[in-house]
Amino acid sequence: MLFQSQAYVLVFLPIAVACYYAAAGSERLRHGVLIAASLFFYGWWDARFIPLLIGQITASWLFALWHERARTNVPLVLGVAVNLAALGTFKYLDFLLASAEAVTGLALPRAHLVLPIGISFFSFQLISYLVDRMRGQAPIYPFRPFALFVLVFPHLIAGPIVRHNELVPQFALDPRRAGLAERIGIGLVIFTVGFAKKVLLADRLAEIVDPLFSQANGGSLSFGDAWTAVLGFSFQLFLDFSAYTEMAIGTALMFGLVLPENFRRPYLSTDLREFWRRWHISLSNFLRDYLYIPLGGSRAGPLRYVAATMVTMGLCGLWHGAGWTFVAWGLWHGIGLVTCRFWQRLGRPLPAIAGWAVTMLFVLVGWVLFRASGFAVAGSILSSLVGVSGFGGKIQHVALLIAASLTSVLVPSAHEMKDRLLKPIPALAVGAAILAAICVLEVGKGAPLTFIYFQF
Amino acid sequence: MRWPLGNRTKDAGSKPKSWRRFVVLFFAAFVEVLAAAYVFILLVDPYDIIPFSLPLDRRIVSISFSFMYPQVVRSRRFDSYIIGTSTSRLIDPEILNGPFQARFTNLAMNSMLAWEQKTMVDYFQRHVGPPKVLIVGIDLVWCAPDADTHRHNPVGWPDWIYDDNPWNDYLYLLNSATFEIAVRLVGFQLGLYRERIRFDGYEEFTPPEQTYDVARARQLIWDHRPRATPPDLPPPPLSETERQALSFPALRWLDEILTQMPATTRKVLVYMPVHVATQPWPGTREAAVEADCKARIADIARKTGSKVIDWRISSPLTREDANYWDRLHYRLPIAQKIARELPPAVLEDRQSADGSYRLTVR
Repeated sequence: MLFQSQAYVLVFLPIAVACYYAAAGSERLRHGVLIAASLFFYGWWDARFIPLLIGQITASWLFALWHERARTNVPLVLGVAVNLAALGTFKYLDFLLASAEAVTGLALPRAHLVLPIGISFFSFQLISYLVDRMRGQAPIYPFRPFALFVLVFPHLIAGPIVRHNELVPQFALDPRRAGLAERIGIGLVIFTVGFAKKVLLADRLAEIVDPLFSQANGGSLSFGDAWTAVLGFSFQLFLDFSAYTEMAIGTALMFGLVLPENFRRPYLSTDLREFWRRWHISLSNFLRDYLYIPLGGSRAGPLRYVAATMVTMGLCGLWHGAGWTFVAWGLWHGIGLVTCRFWQRLGRPLPAIAGWAVTMLFVLVGWVLFRASGFAVAGSILSSLVGVSGFGGKIQHVALLIAASLTSVLVPSAHEMKDRLLKPIPALAVGAAILAAICVLEVGKGAPLTFIYFQF
Repeated sequence: MRWPLGNRTKDAGSKPKSWRRFVVLFFAAFVEVLAAAYVFILLVDPYDIIPFSLPLDRRIVSISFSFMYPQVVRSRRFDSYIIGTSTSRLIDPEILNGPFQARFTNLAMNSMLAWEQKTMVDYFQRHVGPPKVLIVGIDLVWCAPDADTHRHNPVGWPDWIYDDNPWNDYLYLLNSATFEIAVRLVGFQLGLYRERIRFDGYEEFTPPEQTYDVARARQLIWDHRPRATPPDLPPPPLSETERQALSFPALRWLDEILTQMPATTRKVLVYMPVHVATQPWPGTREAAVEADCKARIADIARKTGSKVIDWRISSPLTREDANYWDRLHYRLPIAQKIARELPPAVLEDRQSADGSYRLTVR
C-alpha cells in the first residue's frame, strides 16, 4: 500500500490508528494491532513475500537466542549470512550471473526473481542487530517487539533504517502518554508536507524526467533537454525520497513512535562530506558504523582511509541497485569524499558559494550515473550537458523546477519541524488540512506512482 | 531525538489544550473540504452516473473521452456509431446521418485499443441495443500481437463506468480531475465555459487549416525513413509455419462484436487512410503480416455479413504529403471526402472514382 493513496489516507491509516489506540491499554494487544496492520500493509503489494519477511525476522531472532545460550559468535555469523543470502539471491543473483557471463563469455541462465519490496531495508536492520550482538551492544528482546522493530509499517518499505535500540524501547511506552495531541498534530503536519512534496512536485517531475531519460536511451538529448532531465531528476529524487521519509515519520508519530531523521536539506551542502551528513542519513550512519569504521575509517592512515571510503561507497552504490552504474555512482562519490577530505586538510577552504556550486555539480553528475540505464546513456547525457551536441533547446518547465528547488532548500526537515518549528497555530492546522485534502483529491485521479526508493 | 521514549518535553506538556484544538481543527477542516468537494461532484455529476444528481444540461466539457462518452451512449439520442482511434475521429456524424437515415455518434478516441473499443461496443449494446449502423475504423490496434496483454493505454480506462455496478462508481469520483470537470460543467451552465466538443463526439481536433504548412507536415511524415514512393510490390509469401505463428488476439473480439449484431445492423469495417510512409513498406515481412491480418479480417467480415472498405492502401490520397498533418492524421477536407464517399460505398457498393479506396468485402 502506498502512503500517498486514498486507500491509505482515508481508510487504512484511520482504522489502524483507531484500533491501535483502542488497544493501547494492553501492550500485547496494541503490538498485535501494529503487527497485523504492518503485515496487511506489506501484503497489499505482494503477500507471497510475507513468509520471507517473517522468516528472516524469526531466523535472526533465533540466531540471537542461540548466541545468548551458546556464547559463540557462530550463530550470529550464520544469521548475517542468512540475511545476506536472502538479499543476494533476490537482488543480486541475476546481476552476478550477467557479470559472470560478460567476463567468461558463457551463456548463463537467469533466475528472474521478483524483488521483494523493502528487502534491502529490512535485511540491513536485521544485520545491524546481529552485528550489535557481536559487539555486545544488543540485548535479547522478546520476539514481539523484536519483530515490530523490523515490521512496523511506517519504515518497513524504505526506511529510515532504524537501529534496534532506537525503536524497540519505544514499543513499551503507552502511546496515550503525555504529549499525545502534540505528537498526532505534528505527525499530521509532517505527513502532509511529505504528501504534498510527493504528489504535487515529485510525481509531476517524473512526468518530465522519465520521457527524457527514455529518449536518451535512443539518442542524444539536446543541451536544454539534458539539463531539464538532470535538474528534474535531482529534485525528483530528493523530493520523492524525503517525502516518503516525512510520511513515514509523520505516520509513526501518530502511533507515538519517533523515527530518526533521514534528510537535512542536502542541497544546501557546501561540501560533499556535508552532503552525506544530510542525505539519506540513516543509511550513511549504517554504512559508517558497520562498514567504514570496521574497515579502518580515517584513523588508520591515509591509504586505509582511501580504501575504506572507496569500498564503503562502492557497496553503498551496489546497495541501491544491482548494476554497475550504481557501483560507479558510489565510487564517484567515494572519489569525491576522499578529494574533499584532502582538500579540507590543506586548510584553504573555498568560499561557501563556490563550495556549494562545486558540490552540486558533482552531485548532479552522480545522479546521471544513478538514473541512466547504462554507461553509454550516461556518457551521452553528460556530453549533452556540456554542449558536445550543441547548445540547442531550452530548459523546460522552469516554473516547476523553481518550485522544486525552493521546496528542496526551504522546507525544513521533519525533525526540524518536530523539534523547533511547529506550533499549535490554528491557521497552520487549517492550512495543512486543506493541503492534505487537495493531495487526496490529486491522488484520486489514477494509479499513484510508486516511490523511487521502493526499487532498492 | 526529542520525546526520548515518552518523557514529554517542557514544550510538549505546556500546551496540551492548544494541540488538542489543533488536531480537532485539522480533522474538521480536512473532512469538511473533502466532503464539500465530494458532495459538489456528486450533485454536478459530470459523467451523469449518479441517480440523485442535479438535473443539469450535461455537455462534453472535457476531452477525457473514456469518461465522457458513456453518457453520450446512455442519452439514447443516437442509434448508430463510429468506433476507432484518432484516425476515425474526423468523420463527421452529421455527414453520415442523412445518407444512412440514422443518428450517428462518433465514439472513436485517441489511441483507443481494441479491448477498449470492444468495451464501448458492449456498453452501447447493453444500454441502447444493436445499432442501426456500426462503423469500425480499423487500425493496427486490431492486428497487434499484444492486444490481449495490453488492453488499456497507460493513461487508464475507467472500467468502473463501463461495468454494470453503479455502487463502485462512488469510489472513483473523489479526485481533482472529476472536480475540475464538474467546475467546468457548472461554468457551462452559467455561460462561462463552452462545451469542449459536440455531444455527438465530433471534434475538429487538427489545427486550423489556415495554419497548414506542407514542409512541416513532410518533416513529420518522413522523419523515420527517406522520402520515397512505395514500389508496387506484392507482400512476400509467408510459409505456413510463419502464418501459424502469427497471433492477432484482438480479431477474436472483432468476431464477437460482429457476430452479436443482428442482421438488421449494417456492419462496416473501414481501414482509415494513413500515409504510405507509415504503412508497411511493400515487399517487406511487415507488409506480409499486415496482409495476413487483413485477410483474416476479411474472413470475419464475410462470415458476419459485414462490409470492408480499405483506404489503407497506396493510393493518390495516401501518397500525397499535402493531405496529411503527420503520418497518421489526414486533413479536414480529406475527412469530409471520406465521410461523403463512405455512404455510397456501403449502400451502393460504389467503387472509388480516384482509386483511393477498395471495396474488399461487399
